Amino acid sequence: MSAIDRLREELASRDGTLKPLRVLAASGQLGYGIPAAALAEGLERAPHFIGCDMGSIDPGPYYLGSGNLATSDAMTRNDLAQVLRAARSIGVPLMLGTAGTAGAAPHLDKTLTMVREIARDEGLHFRLASIRADMPRDVIKRAIAAGRVTPLGAIPALAERDVDAATHIVGQMGIEAFQRAMHAGADVVIAGRACDTAVFAAIPAMLGYPPGPTMHMSKIVECCSLCTTPGGRDALLGTLDGDGFIIDSMNPQRHATPMSVAAHSLYEQGDPYRVIEPEGMLDTEQARYESLDEHRCRVSGARWQPATRYTVKLEGATLVGERAVLLAGCGDPKAIAAMKEILPAVEKTVRDLVANSVRGPFQLHHRVYGVDGVFAWPAPPETLPREVFVMVECIAATAEDAKSVATVFKQYLLHHGFPGRTSTGGNLAFPFTPPEVVCGPAYRFNIYHVMEVDELEPLFPVTLEAL
Amino acid sequence: MKLIEAARVIRSKNAGPTLLTVDLMFNEPAGFERALAAPALAPAAIAKLYGLDAAQVVVIPYQPALAVKIVMDRKLVAGDPGDRDVYGAQQHGPLLSIEI
Repeated sequence: MSAIDRLREELASRDGTLKPLRVLAASGQLGYGIPAAALAEGLERAPHFIGCDMGSIDPGPYYLGSGNLATSDAMTRNDLAQVLRAARSIGVPLMLGTAGTAGAAPHLDKTLTMVREIARDEGLHFRLASIRADMPRDVIKRAIAAGRVTPLGAIPALAERDVDAATHIVGQMGIEAFQRAMHAGADVVIAGRACDTAVFAAIPAMLGYPPGPTMHMSKIVECCSLCTTPGGRDALLGTLDGDGFIIDSMNPQRHATPMSVAAHSLYEQGDPYRVIEPEGMLDTEQARYESLDEHRCRVSGARWQPATRYTVKLEGATLVGERAVLLAGCGDPKAIAAMKEILPAVEKTVRDLVANSVRGPFQLHHRVYGVDGVFAWPAPPETLPREVFVMVECIAATAEDAKSVATVFKQYLLHHGFPGRTSTGGNLAFPFTPPEVVCGPAYRFNIYHVMEVDELEPLFPVTLEAL
Repeated sequence: MKLIEAARVIRSKNAGPTLLTVDLMFNEPAGFERALAAPALAPAAIAKLYGLDAAQVVVIPYQPALAVKIVMDRKLVAGDPGDRDVYGAQQHGPLLSIEI
């Protein structure tokens, strides 16, 4: 019997209603360590399946562009082993979304390799489904031509050249793809780029739990105990019962209160009341948040509006160049006061000096931390800080070019003379040398658009293998 | 009254790489109401602080958490060369000193 059929049987009551379904959210971002006590407590509650999210667009374009994971191999492997062991120990499905930080082919493949190695090393046997999320370029180009691609935010319309320039392009899958994997008989589903809700909503939706509360619960549990007070990363149990669900942190110190759970709807969302998914829209305007006791909160009343047309969010990143940075401090009041004029002056000098040796174009960005490094303030503060940190970033065609520019910049910034200078030994304090650091390739998001599609299935192929 | 004195939380974060959101949360309904009524929290006033047009800023009250969400366009897509804050988690500075 397949895992989903087992759940169907287990959760059906004689009177035709559904028994409460328990979902254990094990990790909001796999690869940064899983608090063990809360995971163990979660397993004690006999969840019907375990879900974890493994990625996001938030860490920026580098991971999608490069195909690298944001998390270290050793930590990622350890976390994967923990959740695989957990799910297999109680014989329930494991659902994992946005494998390897960004969910494109290299991220998914690295994750799958680890999963296969863990299964082999630990003698775990299960049916593994993997779901790809790489969007075919010809499909996107045809959608552009048909006027079915729209920017998400204040960015240009998508052009064919952007599609060609992106190193990886993924689409966010919804519950449909996870459900196909479960239909195919999966015990463990490892998905490429996926909506974080889909990881948790696919199984309950398949079993007939009401879609409004199912999607709302999924939106809340995907970050684990972030919706509690004090918030944290511990495993979280969501229980769907009737017209609502209960939020229960597996760390007894973290309490789900109506305020803390309601507030979570604000987190990283443009609209606190509405969340658009590939298959429809979650509307929480009528949601009610009630305290069950001092630790648990019950939520009901969310509504689900099925989409009239399927949409897929597209994400793509393209190479900008190679990055090197110069890192240095400054503690001289006169140099700090003059820094705004010094940096452009040094840039001009550097551009002239490297003209013969660095042939390709390069861009320079300087930041003076303590003044306007974090926010682009229109004016400096009334009182300048005692010390500042200076970062000069160069993005050039090659790593060697970027390093050359950063190195020359270092020397001329160190010794730049300016009116009234008294600290003539040098303008900078280097915490270490070399203070110029080669960072590797720099990427930017060149695709963040939504594409209308007629069918979701061909875009997210499922592969099943027996381990 | 300064916003920082009335609010329990003043935080910023991306909502996707093209939007920045700022959440203001209050302990008491009075603070929430006061913030909603404050001219300094009108879209045009916030736009001025962030160097945007008023049409690029939306202010959404969220009663269930006694919160106000401010949503605005990012000037640079998150992680673009020249960006200062990839996650957008430290872009709330201009709101710390406003009066409500």
